[in-house]
Amino acid sequence: MSTDAPTSAPTEHATHSRRPYMVIFGLLFAFTILEVAVALPSMGVARGFKVSALIILALTKAAMVALWFMHLKSEFKVLRWSVLLPFAFPALYAVVLISEAAWRLLS
Amino acid sequence: MSATATADAGHHEEHHGIGGHLLPSDPSVGLATSGKIGMWIFLLSDAFSFGGLLLAYGILRGGSSVWHHEGEPSLGINFTAGLTFLLICSSVTMVMAVANAAEGNKSKVTMWLALTALGGALFLTGQFQEYFGIWSEGLTHEGLHFGHSSYASTFYLITSFHGAHVFSGTLYILITTLRNARGKADANEIEILGLFWHFVDLIWILVFTFVYLL
Repeated sequence: MSTDAPTSAPTEHATHSRRPYMVIFGLLFAFTILEVAVALPSMGVARGFKVSALIILALTKAAMVALWFMHLKSEFKVLRWSVLLPFAFPALYAVVLISEAAWRLLS
Repeated sequence: MSATATADAGHHEEHHGIGGHLLPSDPSVGLATSGKIGMWIFLLSDAFSFGGLLLAYGILRGGSSVWHHEGEPSLGINFTAGLTFLLICSSVTMVMAVANAAEGNKSKVTMWLALTALGGALFLTGQFQEYFGIWSEGLTHEGLHFGHSSYASTFYLITSFHGAHVFSGTLYILITTLRNARGKADANEIEILGLFWHFVDLIWILVFTFVYLL
C-alpha cells in the first residue's frame, strides 16, 4: 500500500470480510501439521533439510500472523517497515553468533 | 504549532494534542492512534527481549557438545503442537472480535473476546500440565530441572517468559471484555488488545519451532 492510502479508522463501521482470516487459519493449521511431520524422528528427514524447512515454515507462519491478523499488510508503508526492518539485524546477529559458536565447537 | 497556523497550512483536518498544543496528524501513520503506535513500540521492545533469549539459546546450543543430557526427558512435540493449535484458534477468535468491533457489534465482540480468554486459560493449563503435571507426570517429575543444564534452564526461561505474556494477555482480555460488556471499550481499544494477543501467538510460533522442533 502506498503512503497516500489511509488506513481504516477503528471507529468506522464498515463490514470486514472474514474469508482472508479463515484462509490464514487454514494455512497456519496445515503448516503446523507439516512442521510436526518434518520434526518427528520417525520420519527420518535429513538434519540439514529439517532445520531449513522448519525455520522457513516458522518465519512464514509468523509473517502471516503479522501481516493479516495484526493487519500490517494494510498499514501505511512507513509504519509497516518501521516494524519489520528492525528484525533484520537480530536475525543477522543470530546467524553470525550461532555459526561462530558451532564453528568453534567443530574446530 | 498553533491551531491557526495549522489551519493556514491547509494540509490536514485531523489533529492531536501534546501539552495543550494542536499538532497535525502524521501522514506516515494515517489514522493510527497514539495508543496503537505505543503498543507497536512496546511490542518491538518485547520482541527484542524474546530475540535476546532465543539468540542466547541458539549460541548455547550451537556451542554445546552435549545438549540433551542423559536422564533428561524429551519435550512432548505432539502435546505442544496441540497448544500451538489452541493459540492459533485464539488468534482467529481475537481477529473476529476486532472485525466485529470495527463494525460496531458489541455483543459479538464480548463473545469472541470471552472465547479468546478461554483459549488463553486452556493454554496456561496445558503449560502447567507440561511443567508440573495434572493428569499425567510433568517435566519436573521426569527430571528436567531449572539450573541443572543449559537445555533445562533455557527451556524454562523462554517458555515461562512466554507463559507470563499469555497470563497477562488473558487478564488484559478479561478486563477489556468486561469494559466492552459495559459499553466502555471502543474499537480502537479492541484493536490494540488484538495486537498484543496476536504478538503472543506469533512469538509462540517461533518458540515452538526453535525450542521444541529443532
